[in-house]
Amino acid sequence: MNNKKFFELAKKKGLTATEIYSAKKSSLSFELFHSEVSSYSASDSFSMSARGIYNDKFGVAITEKVNKDTPEVLVNEIIANAKVIEKADKALLFKGSEKYQKRNLFNKEIEAISIDQKLKNLYEIESKLKQADPRVVEIEGVQYSEDAIEVNLANSYGLNLKNKSNYYVYAASVVVKQNDEVKTGYKVLLSNDPKELDIDKFVKEVIVDATRKLGGTQCDSKKYPVVLSPKTAASFLDPYLESASAEEVQKHSSLFIGKLNQAVASKKVTILEQPLLKNCFFRYFDDEGVATTNKKIIEKGILKTYLYNLETAQREGTSTTGNGYRGGSKMGVSFVNPSIKPGRLSEADLLAKVKTGVYISSVQGLHAGLNPQSGNFSLQAEGFMIRDGKIAEPLSLITVAGNLLDLFLSVRDVANNSELQLSGITAPSLLIKSLAISGK
Amino acid sequence: MIAKSLAIDVLNAGLETGADFAEIYLEQNNASFLMLENGKTESALSSTTYGAGIRLLNKLQSVYGYTNDLSRKGLMKLATSLAKSFKGERLLTVEKINKVRVKNVHKYEKPLSEVSREEKIALLKEAYDVMSNYDKRIVRIQNTFLNSRKVVTIYNSDGKRLDDFKERGRMAFVAIASDNGKIETGFEGPGATGGMEFFTAKISVKETAHHVAELAIKMLTAEECPSGKMPVVIGNGFGGVVFHEACGHSLEATAVAKKLSVFSESLGKQIASPLVTAIDDGTIPNGWGSNNIDDEGNKTQRNVLIKDGICTSFLIDSFNGRRMNMKANGACRRESYKYEPTSRMSNTFIAAGKSNPEDIIAATKLGLYAASMGGGSVNPATGEFNFAVSEAYIIRDGKIAEPVRGATLIGSGADILKKIDMVGNDLLRAQGMCGSVSGSIPADVGQPTIRISEILVGGRGGVLK
Repeated sequence: MNNKKFFELAKKKGLTATEIYSAKKSSLSFELFHSEVSSYSASDSFSMSARGIYNDKFGVAITEKVNKDTPEVLVNEIIANAKVIEKADKALLFKGSEKYQKRNLFNKEIEAISIDQKLKNLYEIESKLKQADPRVVEIEGVQYSEDAIEVNLANSYGLNLKNKSNYYVYAASVVVKQNDEVKTGYKVLLSNDPKELDIDKFVKEVIVDATRKLGGTQCDSKKYPVVLSPKTAASFLDPYLESASAEEVQKHSSLFIGKLNQAVASKKVTILEQPLLKNCFFRYFDDEGVATTNKKIIEKGILKTYLYNLETAQREGTSTTGNGYRGGSKMGVSFVNPSIKPGRLSEADLLAKVKTGVYISSVQGLHAGLNPQSGNFSLQAEGFMIRDGKIAEPLSLITVAGNLLDLFLSVRDVANNSELQLSGITAPSLLIKSLAISGK
Repeated sequence: MIAKSLAIDVLNAGLETGADFAEIYLEQNNASFLMLENGKTESALSSTTYGAGIRLLNKLQSVYGYTNDLSRKGLMKLATSLAKSFKGERLLTVEKINKVRVKNVHKYEKPLSEVSREEKIALLKEAYDVMSNYDKRIVRIQNTFLNSRKVVTIYNSDGKRLDDFKERGRMAFVAIASDNGKIETGFEGPGATGGMEFFTAKISVKETAHHVAELAIKMLTAEECPSGKMPVVIGNGFGGVVFHEACGHSLEATAVAKKLSVFSESLGKQIASPLVTAIDDGTIPNGWGSNNIDDEGNKTQRNVLIKDGICTSFLIDSFNGRRMNMKANGACRRESYKYEPTSRMSNTFIAAGKSNPEDIIAATKLGLYAASMGGGSVNPATGEFNFAVSEAYIIRDGKIAEPVRGATLIGSGADILKKIDMVGNDLLRAQGMCGSVSGSIPADVGQPTIRISEILVGGRGGVLK
């Protein structure tokens, strides 16, 4: 669609400012099962999200259907939607930041590698998984996928920003069996640099993830000192940081209300947001067109800033922090490349500090078992007993319960083993004073 | 959405390299979403999803792709590129396409696509008024209305064309209560395949809103739930999410065909207590998870999955059915054209038993009553699951006693099914969204009140005394 046509028509129909955010995505994926390509998928898609201001209110319309009628359909829907909006905030579109730290992180090498080579990698992963351990009874699937996304944000003020990015994913999952006990293990590698694939290392991690769970028992139900794996720490960081959103604060749903420049975590904890970090999550402008910046959200336990988009900033008479991102139907507040700053100790050093405790390697069911508003959680978990400072017997079907704010306030130490998760969150292992574990 | 002659050409392009089946799935979904925050319309959105998915099958291999370029050029390009992944000779050619009549079993007295935004907002405000007047400690209220009209056309190499449409609507009520730094939430999300009459006549919006507010306040004053193994009575309605997660997913051909499910070898075997009969019924008129035809064009069915504790059927799509040597039974679903369809649940529930719910409570000396459940998840290979309980009470001496918050139920499906020792006569279904490989789809869960003789409860309140 011709953006200009849309902007002109919108103006004629009484919209004071309009914006088009379009995304073009192409994907490729395939999967091996029992040494055969069991599925193969290729796709191209396009979607367009249009916003416009009518009588100081926003109307929004999204479409994937583009033809000569599209500008008219969008304008009409925007007006009809804007007419029912009752909120007091004056709708704003952004004219542009002074400077953008644009960078091209699109890696042509991903597409340049032949499909045959990518398939060969899958066959190699599968065959190595089969031979890696006699307890492997099934390989649930070995998958490859790649996505390339091109976004364009343009508005009637003349702002026109573009970003093109791509990444690939290798994933594998195995089932291991010992006596009657069945466990699964998996590994996902996400990157935009093909050199990062190390098949032997990848295979080893899948196998270890599964086999180390075998022989799982349940521990006695009580409070234990706990070490969280990097993956588990990242799982908790995401809902914890939701509280930094000015939107949540203004709507009384944040754990950080009235806590600016106060302690919300232990002194060991520093939390950063680095949208300009050069990885596949890199963003140099947010979804409102504001230039992003790297920042400290929490420094040595002290909350340094809330995160704002244009609207939440306007409500408080402050400036946006470049954290306006689309969440479902509206422009919300979110963050890109958040991380817990690593400490100096290794994970082994952290474990050595615990006489008897629990190591949590992963938690499940976060969407239901954790309430980001109250911070309370009670989650299915798996991990290991820690005995005399070392990993001991595996634990399965245990639950870990607590409160997010208490958890971050009771961090005793932070390790140096940071890992980037598929969710885009980076965290190292954390030593927590105590958490309630249920087992037997 | 496309001409028959183009469909034939696209199917034949897909079949060129030896595929034994080709399918084009075309879809246009027009949706509207309204959200009120604290009684004021804060967000209004219209969206159109539009595109085609092409699927080619060759024995046990599947190839899938999608595009929203529905021109001849766009569709032919997709079909040709997908066909490249097979290297054989053409096995069949589509000569003609016949239209198969699809019977619509759902009534739409007042289709939601024809109801004004203002009328929906007025209903949301009725709910808001009830919630905001309930208690001063309710600090944030969200009410949403989502409705969609989906029009689908399927062409396949069996020479069939099927046309279907469906309209669905769902309201959601969220109350957030806060006091002394504690925050708790209440939630309900009733929905149906149908029109506005579901919200104005079938259910009471005011009663639902009242219940949500009541729940948030009740949980605000509740003590932390104790932890450990105990008998648990799970309430009717959304309590059925336990069966959905712990058992239903493991009965889907997606997991069974590749023998990745704990129930892969269970057909004809006792997998549950003899008190348990479980059904997946995609045919229920106006059911939230119902469809006239599934997303590969087969008529939906009422499938009895477990009869008196014996595993009697799986949920099967035609592709996974090939691996299993079994026929598809109308259970193939997808969120949209962006997903390759596979076997999924529709309206899944445990059938009513004989006990009165009061008698189930009365028969329990010390345990937990999980009156309503939140969401959960499961690992189909191990059957391990977890669920959040959104409304819970301790049962003492056969009576419902103090409310408790923050409870989670943890277990494995195969184990829990055998431990169901009482089944009530108060079957009720409730609405949810089910997420899995072929996307997020509307699904009903359901059950009568049931008792599990022992299950692990997670919570922060120490040992149950």
